[in-house]
Amino acid sequence: MGLNKFRAKSPWILHYNAGSCNGCDIEILACLSPKYDVERFGMINTGNPKQSDILLITGPVTERCRERLVDLYSQMPEPKVVVACGSCASTGGVFRDMYGTECGVDNYIPVDVSVPGCACRPEQIMQGVVAALGILAQKNKDIEKPVRLAGKVTEQDGQTNRRELAGTLEATNAKN
Amino acid sequence: MNNLIAAIVFIALAPVLGGLVYGVERKVRARMQNRMGPSILQPFFDFMKLLDKRPMMVHSTHAFLGIMHFVAIWFALAVLVLGGDMLVVIFLHLLATALLVVAGYSVRSVFSHLGSTRQALSALAYEPVLLAIAIGFFMVTGSFNTSAVMNSAQPLIVKLPLAFVALLMILPIKLKKSPFDVADAHQEVVGGAEIEFSGVFFEALYTARWVEYMFGYSLVALFAGANIWLGIGMATVVFFVVNAVDNSTARLNYKDMLKISLGIALPLALLNLVFLVL
Ligand code: SF4
Repeated sequence: MGLNKFRAKSPWILHYNAGSCNGCDIEILACLSPKYDVERFGMINTGNPKQSDILLITGPVTERCRERLVDLYSQMPEPKVVVACGSCASTGGVFRDMYGTECGVDNYIPVDVSVPGCACRPEQIMQGVVAALGILAQKNKDIEKPVRLAGKVTEQDGQTNRRELAGTLEATNAKN
Repeated sequence: MNNLIAAIVFIALAPVLGGLVYGVERKVRARMQNRMGPSILQPFFDFMKLLDKRPMMVHSTHAFLGIMHFVAIWFALAVLVLGGDMLVVIFLHLLATALLVVAGYSVRSVFSHLGSTRQALSALAYEPVLLAIAIGFFMVTGSFNTSAVMNSAQPLIVKLPLAFVALLMILPIKLKKSPFDVADAHQEVVGGAEIEFSGVFFEALYTARWVEYMFGYSLVALFAGANIWLGIGMATVVFFVVNAVDNSTARLNYKDMLKISLGIALPLALLNLVFLVL
């Protein structure tokens, strides 16, 4: 349809802090400042999962925020991409193998781009997001499921019900 | 006849024009902060992108109310431009706001409820002032019809300067700009009543905002009477003033908003009416 090319022109961003030390969050905010000005690419920090295209995640995913992360991811309408910002979102970084954290975002949801650095520079974040835009333009509109904690999608009266796409820890534990 | 055709073309193109105004506004705001800013066509890029998202809705009534919000506000603009009754314009505008508020309350998200409450409070803040302005138009021209206003040779701002100031004070509330953007409250409660809309259904609210821009600036232009160029000039000046204020102020809380609009703007407009009688 040719509409794909507009995806790259107006990426709206949802930023989620999955237990980061705030180092990377500050760098993301720096991207919005006059010096780097990501709005010139049409990006807006919406803060609303239902209206965003890119999920920017910082932090290694703490045990407390796993369900929320998956929930936010499931609420975003496709096509969507996930950018893991910083070493700890990519691999666990300095928090790797700690008692309260997981080793990176990709244990829970599929990650499209990982941005290295502790903390990652604003230039790197922008490069990561631009790389993500290329992926976004190629994606189709099928429902994407989280890797772990995935719930079910049901069909009813010709309509897709994705309300339970994000599973809960309780349900997952009961199954195992 | 020519006027009628011009009016109809203007109404039909209102969403497009409003989109352009929004694009220019984002550029102007960025330049005021010494940034590059997005392209002027950015709102249309957003529009096309939203068309391309996977459709998703909470329930059908919610989506329907959102679309009716857009329709109602477009009707309000149409009645205003075609020279209809000013009171009908105000009530259609209020209806549009009410539809949005009900849409916000119709889902279970508390953030949506919060946004709706704030939206309703904003309506409470600006509607009385709009009514006072309509009464001012009536006292000057002897008719509630906007066609009478558009035909008056003398610009109404001469007779209604204080009412014009009152309009300037409530315009940021209507257009959801700082310091009165309590309904939207970006980065604080995220988004307001339209928070649960997505994809094509959010489109209706996104374009409704563009029509709202045209509505607000048309109200400003009405104060110029028959002189259309003066009207466009005034709307342009007001556009820059509103954006400069938006850039240089922080958000007030809703109590301050009510205090300022009902405690200063409304008395100013009413004082103007008293002067007209004297
Ligand atoms: S990558 Fe480093 S700076 Fe960024 S959130 Fe993790 S620990 Fe903090």
